[in-house]
Amino acid sequence: MSQVQARFFTENKKYLIDDVPFSIPAASEVADLSGVINKLLEAKNGQDLQDFLKVIFQKLCGIYYLETWDKTEVVEIEYVEKFTAPQPEECIMHDDWISSVEADSEWILTGSYDKTARIWSMEGKAVMTVAGHTDVVKDVAWVKRSENLQTGSLVVNDASLLLTASLDQTIMLWEWNSERNKVEARHCCRGHAGSVDTVAVDPTRTKFCSGSWDKMLKIWSAVPTVEEDEIEEPNRPRKKQKTEQMGLTRTPLMTFSGHNEAVSSVLWMDAEELCSASWDHTIRLWDAETGEQKSTLTGSKVFNSISYSPLCRRLASGSTDRHVRLWDPRSKDGSLVLLSLTSHNGWVTAVRWSPSHEHQLVSGSLDNVVKLWDTRSCKAPLYDLAAHEDKILCVDWTENGLILSGGADNKLYTYRYSTCVSDAGA
Amino acid sequence: VSDSNFSLLVFITFSVRSQDIRNTVGNIPMEWYKDYPHIGYDLEGKKIFKPIRNKDELDEFLDKMENPDYWRTVQDKMTGADIRLSDEQVDLVHRLQQGKFGDVNFNEYEPAIDFFSNEVMIHPVTNRPQDKRSFIPSLIEKEKVGKLVHAIKMGWIKPRRPKETTPQYYDLWAKEDPNSILGRHKMHVPAPKMKLPGHEESYNPPPEYLLSEEERLAWEQQDPEYRKLSFLPQKFACLRAVPAYSRFIHERFERCLDLYLCPRQRKMRVNVNPEDLIPKLPKPKDLQPFPTTQSLVYRGHSSLVRSISVSPSGQWLVSGSDDCTVRFWEVSTARCLKTVEVGGAVKGVAWNPNPSICLVAVSYDDTVVLLNPGLGDRLVCTATDQLISSYEEPEEVMDQSVQWAVAEGEGHEQGHRLILKHPKTVRQVTWHGKGDYLACVMPDNGSSLQVVIHQVSKRRTQNPFRKNKGLVQCVSFHPIRPYFFVATQRYVRVYNLIKQELTKKLMANCKWISSMAIHPGGDNVICGSYDCRLAWFDLDLSTKPYKVLRHHKKALRSVAYHRHYPLFASGSDDGSVIVCHGMVYNDLLQNPLIVPVKVLKGHTITHDLGVLDVTFHPTQPWVFSSGADGTVRLFT
Repeated sequence: MSQVQARFFTENKKYLIDDVPFSIPAASEVADLSGVINKLLEAKNGQDLQDFLKVIFQKLCGIYYLETWDKTEVVEIEYVEKFTAPQPEECIMHDDWISSVEADSEWILTGSYDKTARIWSMEGKAVMTVAGHTDVVKDVAWVKRSENLQTGSLVVNDASLLLTASLDQTIMLWEWNSERNKVEARHCCRGHAGSVDTVAVDPTRTKFCSGSWDKMLKIWSAVPTVEEDEIEEPNRPRKKQKTEQMGLTRTPLMTFSGHNEAVSSVLWMDAEELCSASWDHTIRLWDAETGEQKSTLTGSKVFNSISYSPLCRRLASGSTDRHVRLWDPRSKDGSLVLLSLTSHNGWVTAVRWSPSHEHQLVSGSLDNVVKLWDTRSCKAPLYDLAAHEDKILCVDWTENGLILSGGADNKLYTYRYSTCVSDAGA
Repeated sequence: VSDSNFSLLVFITFSVRSQDIRNTVGNIPMEWYKDYPHIGYDLEGKKIFKPIRNKDELDEFLDKMENPDYWRTVQDKMTGADIRLSDEQVDLVHRLQQGKFGDVNFNEYEPAIDFFSNEVMIHPVTNRPQDKRSFIPSLIEKEKVGKLVHAIKMGWIKPRRPKETTPQYYDLWAKEDPNSILGRHKMHVPAPKMKLPGHEESYNPPPEYLLSEEERLAWEQQDPEYRKLSFLPQKFACLRAVPAYSRFIHERFERCLDLYLCPRQRKMRVNVNPEDLIPKLPKPKDLQPFPTTQSLVYRGHSSLVRSISVSPSGQWLVSGSDDCTVRFWEVSTARCLKTVEVGGAVKGVAWNPNPSICLVAVSYDDTVVLLNPGLGDRLVCTATDQLISSYEEPEEVMDQSVQWAVAEGEGHEQGHRLILKHPKTVRQVTWHGKGDYLACVMPDNGSSLQVVIHQVSKRRTQNPFRKNKGLVQCVSFHPIRPYFFVATQRYVRVYNLIKQELTKKLMANCKWISSMAIHPGGDNVICGSYDCRLAWFDLDLSTKPYKVLRHHKKALRSVAYHRHYPLFASGSDDGSVIVCHGMVYNDLLQNPLIVPVKVLKGHTITHDLGVLDVTFHPTQPWVFSSGADGTVRLFT
């Protein structure tokens, strides 16, 4: 049996081992290598630590080629902590397709094709149904959660604000009192001339941006007021009546035009910078204050979804092909696509970076599979979460390590994923 | 001076003297005095006149006839006088003309005395003493000899080699490679071998080879050229009884004739690399983007989907099916947002191409319904409804072949707006690019009412043709100019709607046209036919197809062009959609480039039907196809 010289290294100081080459069998599998590392660590640190420590290797794919390595060379293998596979927790049934999901530490907000948005508890209990739109809800977002809310002079405790964007060309700002479990439409944001496909709330939680099929991006105030904005078209009494029923009409603060096709996804990179992805094969960066277009990243396919990680300062995009692409939004030179993650078999409809880990992201696709990626191992995903029976339309990843995915099989799956300490902090 | 020269001189002096006129001007060209009556001057300074010559042609002629000495009279150019030549002079002229010596007495054949002969005489010919140089050695020769001696000493001059007496031979084929195939070997054609004798030529053939009596008679009556056998098989009791072969000389002679009269030569086989015959086409990889994979399947219909159409924004897709429903889909998610039931199997759907109008024309049975699906911009939808409701009935009611009715009640709730009742089954509906005119096809062989054009804003119906030749298959409006394309079974006719005349007739070279699409530039047309062909017409080039593609295995049902990308697609009964790159150049000299790029498979064949309709997304390089399996598929 042929042997290969291998040197193991890691960035995590907690699990350092001696920097000497080891001779390992060339036919070693990941599990064998993990065993080697675990043995070494046991010998070094004593028994008590090692019962739960597992190791994975960055070059997961490289492992299979160990036998082809030159026997005189020393193989460098990085090892990192192994994360336990995401554990499926809940399966929340909806009445219709789930178009969007956003969760925080306590509540899950989903938008559905049955024209409503729903609030769920973490245990999968339906808490509230937000109904008011006349058409499919395409995107949802939390604005504010359970803080003291200033509405005029009145101080209301324990009320959350949330947004729903719909195919009926409006965005609704709702106020939800979780104590009394009452939801109230505060504002109906009118101005788009196409279905509103995406909304994003800025980091200061005072504004939000929406992207629509009418190729426009609009910025709106997210602060509820008691006054109604002036309606620009007063000659439509029927519409006006409706708005009175469903909250006060609000008009946009700013409109950004520049995309040649429908805007599919929008996000705030920081308080001053906006990023939008569109069907015209571009990702554009905007200055949120001036409305100026700062730079354009051009791809070759329609973008479905983008996500930005402040930890690694990368954009991830899902488009109408099989690849998840990583972009450097700051780079001005040539190659904009840093990495392509290829494993899906259908359009990538949703991507989301881990809020706590700089290398991990999750992607959902039309091939019914949610994939969890580590950008250090770009050839294959870490885990495939194949629970859905139909197209996946949305994914989310919360701060406390919960991965959510919803799709055309009317089910919202949640997975518990062990929160890991970011390597950068260790 | 020879005697002849002397006599000439005598002659000249004699002639001068005899005339007694002196030439006073000397030997000058006489033409200088041509225009004067005189030549020179005498001693007293008086002009010497030329003899008067007033003879005209007639006098000359008379003179010639009458004067016996005319022939010997010449004019003296020096004096201008006529001179009669004497007998001696005439004789002299004759002698000179004959090339003889002038002197009669001169003997040119006098016997020659040979002083210098080969005979050695005892006395020298001349008495001259020999020169001194004849007795002393020559210095020049000495110098030359010295040079030669020096050259010999220095070795510059070598003595002549003795001549070799043995004959020189060389090997003619010494440089030849014994292993190489030479021309004479290569071109060698062996003589054809003679056929070996068979059993019938045996002296004792098996009885089945022996001819019966009738056969023998037939053989004898047959022309020798047509005989199967050139001899009669014969049976002998033993080899000894076999006589001499009577045809031996004859056969040898024929063999020799065969060998030298029949030319034996190699046939030149043209060596062409078969790959060179394939036209150079760019690789499909370089022609991206084009649809390559199936991305979405729009499921919901329970029967075959006859027709699909995409909204001008590209957000919605409408499909009409034999299950009597029209479904509206969200393109990006394959979500069915709306289902509208109609009263029959839907034959055609067409979304209004005008982005400011939200209308879908749906044809079933003999009815065309204009639907407002209520998708897209709300303002556009309400504006469309207002446009339809704001119609005012004109005073004079025209008698129309099509009845227009406004939908009410439950139909209006579902989105029905206008209902057009036709006299016959409507097969196809298509909009004009502006979105006001709607053309419907009611195939009926020989009828005058096969195509009608509706104007929606005025609710008017026109029958553009008094007479239709053949069975109309489909119609289409030109995307830019006021032309109207009508495809019958064999031909596509192009009409100018303003001049109301036939401009072109395209011959499709196929049995039965099924579908037609016009390039967005307007100068190219593709036609699909039921005999598996797709014909591309370049209207500027010819009325015959520029190219015919036979990629499908079964009948084509639908063809479509992309609005922006250089792509076209065809759907067929074999369940596949073939996407081709069809680049049209602005340069009139450059022909369109047609490259098949992808075969898209996905539809299952149901009841021998595969793909029924194909259409492209208006902005993306995506193609939709609807099939007999009740699905619509999106390929990206």
